[in-house]
Amino acid sequence: MSRYSAICHIIDQIRLTRDIFHLVLNAPDIARAARPGQFCMLATAHGKGLDPLLRRPLSIHDVGPSGRLEFLYRVVGRGTDLLAQKGPGDIVCVLGPLGQGFRLGTSSSSILVGGGLGTAPLLFLARGLEPRDITIILGGRDAQEIVRLDSFEKVAEKVLVTTEDGSLGIKGLVTSALERLDISPSSHIQHPPAIFACGPWPMMKAVCNWAAIRGLAVQVSLETQMACGTGICLGCATRSSGQDRYLHVCKDGPVFFATDIDWG
Amino acid sequence: MPAFERKDTHAMTRPEVDLAGIKLKNPVLLASGTCGYGQEINDLLDLELLGGLVVKGISLIERPGNPPPRIHETPCGLLNAIGLENVGLERFLSEKLPWLEKIDTAVIVNILGDSVEEYTQIAQRLNGVPGIEGIEVNISCPNVKAGGIAFGADPALAAEVTRRIKMVTSLPVIVKLSPNVTDITVIAKAVEEAGADALSLINTLLGMAIDIKNKRPALANVFGGLSGPAIKPIALRMVWQVARAVEIPVIGIGGISTPSDAIEFFMAGASAIQIGTATLVNPGSAAEVVTGIASFMDKEGIDDIRQIRII
Ligand SMILES: Cc1cc2nc3c(=O)[nH]c(=O)nc-3n(C[C@H](O)[C@H](O)[C@H](O)COP(=O)(O)OP(=O)(O)OC[C@H]3O[C@@H](n4cnc5c(N)ncnc54)[C@H](O)[C@@H]3O)c2cc1C
Ligand SMILES: Cc1cc2nc3c(=O)[nH]c(=O)nc-3n(C[C@H](O)[C@H](O)[C@H](O)COP(=O)(O)O)c2cc1C
Ligand code: FES
Repeated sequence: MSRYSAICHIIDQIRLTRDIFHLVLNAPDIARAARPGQFCMLATAHGKGLDPLLRRPLSIHDVGPSGRLEFLYRVVGRGTDLLAQKGPGDIVCVLGPLGQGFRLGTSSSSILVGGGLGTAPLLFLARGLEPRDITIILGGRDAQEIVRLDSFEKVAEKVLVTTEDGSLGIKGLVTSALERLDISPSSHIQHPPAIFACGPWPMMKAVCNWAAIRGLAVQVSLETQMACGTGICLGCATRSSGQDRYLHVCKDGPVFFATDIDWG
Repeated sequence: MPAFERKDTHAMTRPEVDLAGIKLKNPVLLASGTCGYGQEINDLLDLELLGGLVVKGISLIERPGNPPPRIHETPCGLLNAIGLENVGLERFLSEKLPWLEKIDTAVIVNILGDSVEEYTQIAQRLNGVPGIEGIEVNISCPNVKAGGIAFGADPALAAEVTRRIKMVTSLPVIVKLSPNVTDITVIAKAVEEAGADALSLINTLLGMAIDIKNKRPALANVFGGLSGPAIKPIALRMVWQVARAVEIPVIGIGGISTPSDAIEFFMAGASAIQIGTATLVNPGSAAEVVTGIASFMDKEGIDDIRQIRII
């Protein structure tokens, strides 16, 4: 596992909606070392500015030829706002790739479920999966939240969209789409699908419940507050399902098997 | 290794200092809790370029730490309530120290306890263990037997811990002072008198933040320790005061992220410095500070960093 501290040029920064941005950097070392599910810490302050002090964690959305490293993010506060103000030619200091990504395994089919910006790591994941019977479910509050649909459609056999207000795809939550897939319990099928989920905590919890009933294993990508992202501060604790123990999202994760996590 | 190469490394890591008997390649150390046990960070920061590192605080028995959220960012600062999560003394010795021993840099072990006995037991066990150059005593912990008042907030308690640790170890003992006191020089003098070989300061400042959206404290522990650039003026003031109140060397800590920050601390009277939060933000910070100090000394034409102390 190689990690790099790199000063990267922005190749492109595309505003997809009012508050969602697609950032493309030139980061050959990080892009080469990256595995699906890993993340990077991005410095957002201008120049050598001290505010915001901490770097911001973002999942790797995709990597491309000649060192392209891509992120998909929503502006929610000061750090992401400053990042969104940068444009082609500007530089961003990036640490990465960090953490443990998805275990790609050998299942003959996969279901990838993303809610909100939790869809970000799923594109890179879908590219890494082999063999390729892939279903992607993208969930959002409304049509505005469903971004890069065309890219997802290129890497999956089937893409289902759910929106809470029904403005695009199925009206409802991602679990409505899961129910429609009509997956039998794992004991009834020879090759149970691998399930991957990333999004808000209640969404991932619902996906895990849906999977647990069917005896299917789920890998989830978690978010916590992070200071370093490199495993030295121990700030990113999440309760493990084992007694009285904490896992550290930046080094033990961000991807975990759902059964290792205490869902509270 | 050819001789010229050795010389080259030396040029990169000078100036050597002797800190209460601990030989350091240079006066730049990593602060406890911000460099793990070294191995976690060595790929992003070559530890051999530094004077040394102070490992994450070790207790007698492994501690799980506080529930999340444990960290919260404030303007130019970081609030943390990690809760002293650590692997415990025995696992430190068997799992972490062997790797550190192979690294050519000074290893200082930060220790903590909730009773005088816990501190002394740890210090006794560390005595004579190869690969350890010194002990740093975190006295910011609450004394369970004395109703939870921090050792570092009471001169008599702070002196008692220091005296008892000195009795069981021949390693240099650095006492790390808490800034959460009315007059830090009172504690500093009490600890010096009890036999401390050096002082390090400051530990984090007690603070808090409230999440107004969810109407609850931002940290599960309610209070946390503030670190980072935001605390530098306070740390500098305390180092200035303590350096003038005691004879033993003072290690400056608090918000240092650049060479000029470090130089301010040397001018205030520090003999060495530690870098904490800056490593979390930018793993290479400490190496940049080492290089910056060396070029500052070249420019000033001095060979001992202590020469720049303001009298
Ligand atoms: C491993 C990991 C991967 C991530 N990947 C992505 C990604 O691909 N795309 C993306 O848009 N975001 C992602 N996030 C979340 C992203 O890091 C935060 O949104 C960002 O740090 C907010 O910074 P800010 O300065 O803009 O907001 P701040 O000013 O720090 O916070 C503004 C508001 O946003 C909330 N907030 C802050 N951090 C988070 C968080 N981690 N999750 C939810 N709400 C938060 C705060 O509570 C606050 O209300 C990821 C987080 C982690 C830990
Ligand atoms: C995440 C974190 C963990 C820390 N853990 C310890 C610890 O275990 N023992 C200790 O004595 N100090 C600990 N500290 C305090 C630092 O060593 C240092 O004294 C303080 O952060 C001020 O320096 P800085 O502003 O450069 O970070 C910790 C600080 C942080 C930010
Ligand atoms: S964020 Fe620092 S250890 Fe995970």
